[in-house]
Amino acid sequence: MDYAIQQFVNALAFGAEYALIALGLALVYSIMNLMNFAHGEIIASAGYSMYLAILIGFDSPWLVAPIAVAAGALAAMLFERIAFRPVRHAPATTGLLTAFGVSIVVQNLFTLLVSPRPRAVPVLTGLNQTIFIGPYAISSLQLLELLTVAVAITGLVLFLKRSTLGLAIRAATREFSTVRLMGVRANRVIAAAFALSGLLAGIAAIFIVARRGSIDPDFGFQPVIKAFVACVLGGFGSLGGAVFGGMLLGFLDVAIVILLPQDMGGLSDAITYSIIAALLVWRPDGLLTRRIELGDKEI
Amino acid sequence: MPAQARLPGDKAANKAAASTALLRSLAGGLLIALPVVAIGLLVMAFAPAYLVRIAFAAYVNLLIVLGLQIFMGNSMVANLGQGAFVGIGAYTVAILATPIAMKKMSIPNAPFGLSHIAIDPLAAAGAGLGIAGIVALLTGFVVARVSGEAATILTFSLLMIVHSVFIHWTDLFKGAQAFFGIPQVVSLQTAIALSVAGILLARLFKDSRVGLQLRASAESLLAARAFGVDVVRLRLIAWVVGALFCAAGGILYAYFMGTINARAFHFELVLTTLAMLILGGLRTVSGAVVGCALLSILLEAIRTLENGITIGDWQTPPLLGLSGLAMGGVIVFSMIFRPKGMIPRLEFDEALRHWWGRRRSAGTQTGPETDSTSDGEASKAR
Repeated sequence: MDYAIQQFVNALAFGAEYALIALGLALVYSIMNLMNFAHGEIIASAGYSMYLAILIGFDSPWLVAPIAVAAGALAAMLFERIAFRPVRHAPATTGLLTAFGVSIVVQNLFTLLVSPRPRAVPVLTGLNQTIFIGPYAISSLQLLELLTVAVAITGLVLFLKRSTLGLAIRAATREFSTVRLMGVRANRVIAAAFALSGLLAGIAAIFIVARRGSIDPDFGFQPVIKAFVACVLGGFGSLGGAVFGGMLLGFLDVAIVILLPQDMGGLSDAITYSIIAALLVWRPDGLLTRRIELGDKEI
Repeated sequence: MPAQARLPGDKAANKAAASTALLRSLAGGLLIALPVVAIGLLVMAFAPAYLVRIAFAAYVNLLIVLGLQIFMGNSMVANLGQGAFVGIGAYTVAILATPIAMKKMSIPNAPFGLSHIAIDPLAAAGAGLGIAGIVALLTGFVVARVSGEAATILTFSLLMIVHSVFIHWTDLFKGAQAFFGIPQVVSLQTAIALSVAGILLARLFKDSRVGLQLRASAESLLAARAFGVDVVRLRLIAWVVGALFCAAGGILYAYFMGTINARAFHFELVLTTLAMLILGGLRTVSGAVVGCALLSILLEAIRTLENGITIGDWQTPPLLGLSGLAMGGVIVFSMIFRPKGMIPRLEFDEALRHWWGRRRSAGTQTGPETDSTSDGEASKAR
């Protein structure tokens, strides 16, 4: 029973992390039709900003965490301004490849300017303690992560529903030109979306680094691939789909790791992806979307 | 009406036109292949051994880039999984063709009794292509029917899956260690010959019915479907053919180097070949060749810089990450400033014909020459 509870919390925590990253991806895609391959580098930027903060002398996690979040938002807006704005109106493939290129450039910049080897970021590992709720042992980090993700998603929903900018973003996902006709500046809406996406990425970075204890040039890349798959699973472009896909992927991951015999552990990713591929054959547009006929005007 | 207006039922004229088009494609392919062969012959005749090795790597990359062009260039779906098929081709050949004595040293515990058999290199190559084809068929089933961007994510997942299988199934693939002892049975001649064949095939594919319909679907999916084009089937065909090309590149690589390693088929390969295709031009076979040639040279220069060069007494520091930076930079700048690549639309022979036609019409001043059905009209109609 202990084991089951622990694995359940595990699955929730992983799912929450994927959901967080996937939300950032879905936000950008729903507005700009851009698959932001560079999202991993936004996470990495947040991680490296924490490393730099420690070098400067900030020691407490309460100081370093906000820096990471802010760095994530800033990095996202920077990428948008420099690399994605010129290809804003290009076909989706161009945007995707640009993002891929940006991702590679930034990874190699970290390798070149900081170090190709992992760097320790021990300031956050203090969060990763085992606490006891009743008879069950749970990692405090996972609880914190679940809480934070819940708060973040609620905050995002409130922002999107209640604020003017949020309303503009939601409208832009449907029909961008009309939003501009209403007098809302396109640049502002897109920058806001990227900033939000970067914020979420920064939060995710905090938890990833807390768990790993170190950073290296491509540590953001791996979770982002999984998050992309989560987005595809839930239906690319829908925010709810991203969260759903993320949670589903988290549970799938943990289930497969539990069910696989020990020596085949490395193949868990392969099996997860195969299951997802099978699901996609059944529902190519994602699990949450209904089959949209080409040429349908209504979303 | 153009002079070659054909009645729909005019079968003989259709056939004649089709065979002219075929010959034209072949001629075009040969023209593109000409510089490839020329450079290869020069290298074979005059170059020292290390240059031969670099040239060989460039030819392997050319095959992979051609495979990439066949799928990406015609369907406009970004493909990030070519490393998987290169690896499948290389490892199949390595496992099957390595002599038994070598295998007993490197993979003694191979499953299915594979450490006790060794088949001849040509048969192993055939098996490599076969297995790659089967994997391509199975994966293409999913990749061909999801939307463009989702397909790209899935190709990337394919890369990760295959790589993780190579790394973790150490009994068969030796994991992160080098798999040595592969018989080195090919030389630069084979590489050149295969490249020429590849260029011709890629060109024929592009100008064939499948290629044309696929390119149409890339421009407007809805219109193509309305015309009855079965986009899923076409994408599947392009995917499998592209995968076979990549596997051929991997087989060539394994038979030349004699030793392979899973890391050679991962991100760096994907990034390099992608940058080559994007720089040269997605949509044209000439673009693939030009991109490959240019970046092979650039990459060599950067790699020497990466390791640090000695100018007189002064040693530059090793700059790890420079080649990745350069490749990524090439992709980003190409996408921002010249997304269609250096050779955006017209192949070498098409451009020549276009220019020749314009010169002739300028000389005789009889208006646009009705030189052919396709080139003149189509490029003006754009």
